[in-house]
Amino acid sequence: MTSRGADDESPDAELVARVRAGDDRAFGVLVDRHHAGVYRLALSMVSDVGTAQDVTQDAFLKAYSAIATFRGDAAFRSWLFTIAANEARGQLRRQGRRKESSIDSVQPVASEAASPEEEAIRSQESARARTALQLLPEKQRLSVSLRIDEGLSFREIGEVIGSSEGAARVNYFHGIRRLRELMS
Amino acid sequence: MTATCETTRSLLPEWVRRELEASEAGLIDAHLATCDDCSAESQLVQVLFAGRAVPPSGLAHSVREHIASRTRRGRQQRPWWGLAAAAVAAVALGIGVVAQADPTAVVPIYATESGSADAWMSDDGEIAGAPALDDLSEDELAALLDELTPAVSGGSA
Ligand SMILES: [Zn+2]
Repeated sequence: MTSRGADDESPDAELVARVRAGDDRAFGVLVDRHHAGVYRLALSMVSDVGTAQDVTQDAFLKAYSAIATFRGDAAFRSWLFTIAANEARGQLRRQGRRKESSIDSVQPVASEAASPEEEAIRSQESARARTALQLLPEKQRLSVSLRIDEGLSFREIGEVIGSSEGAARVNYFHGIRRLRELMS
Repeated sequence: MTATCETTRSLLPEWVRRELEASEAGLIDAHLATCDDCSAESQLVQVLFAGRAVPPSGLAHSVREHIASRTRRGRQQRPWWGLAAAAVAAVALGIGVVAQADPTAVVPIYATESGSADAWMSDDGEIAGAPALDDLSEDELAALLDELTPAVSGGSA
């Protein structure tokens, strides 16, 4: 499977239609576009870099294999993330229980604008915040990370975590409030 | 003119991701300049976003390789969707075919489960993170939300 590259800006729905018509390269574009989000979702659930990579690979394989069943009434991204969340839950079941959150999983994004000193402080703050996030109950944690990291709407988050839109919204604001308490 | 606390907090993820129109971002900025509580929340959202994980380089490539390696064998024999298409064509032509189960072919394992929100809850039914929320009505959720977000609308300095 090859990728047509990041220059293909076709909407997901169009790429899905091309995959269904036999164009594997279109799925490569979907991989390029969504692998980071799937990986972060997996990481926030399994808290282990290697396992998160495995989950990402298997989630895309299942999405590819099942693309004929994708109905299109949800966004492809929500559908893909739901598969990934199921895959991560399967991993957790196989592992028996969730591993403790790992500081190793936190890789802050470097900002070019800040000085090294500012950057170090910000990285520490980010690491603390991400560690605190890992302490939240799962639905709060996923609501916060999917909303902030991936920009999902509450409706989409609800689809992924198996809740209503309203419950996803409450989980998000509850999570944010708990994080503010933990960080203060 | 500034945004309300409620609007500001709802849009902080789009604000930090720089996805807002300039005029909308300006309203948020104006509110943050006058509201300590929302400003504190914006800082949390900023540090969370800055600390989001970066996938290992080469992950997209290994995903594509993973799919290619796991589907190649099945494809050489006959992909499952090709089998389905052949069956449809055969029916259209009035030909009877028996689809042989092919243990090496890739099958859509979670084909029905993955598209359903129920799949999430079907595993153990109880998930960490206030599962009771799912039993609340929209009104009850709204009341709970009011407790979590500032009641005051408009800029509170
Ligand atoms: Zn405010």
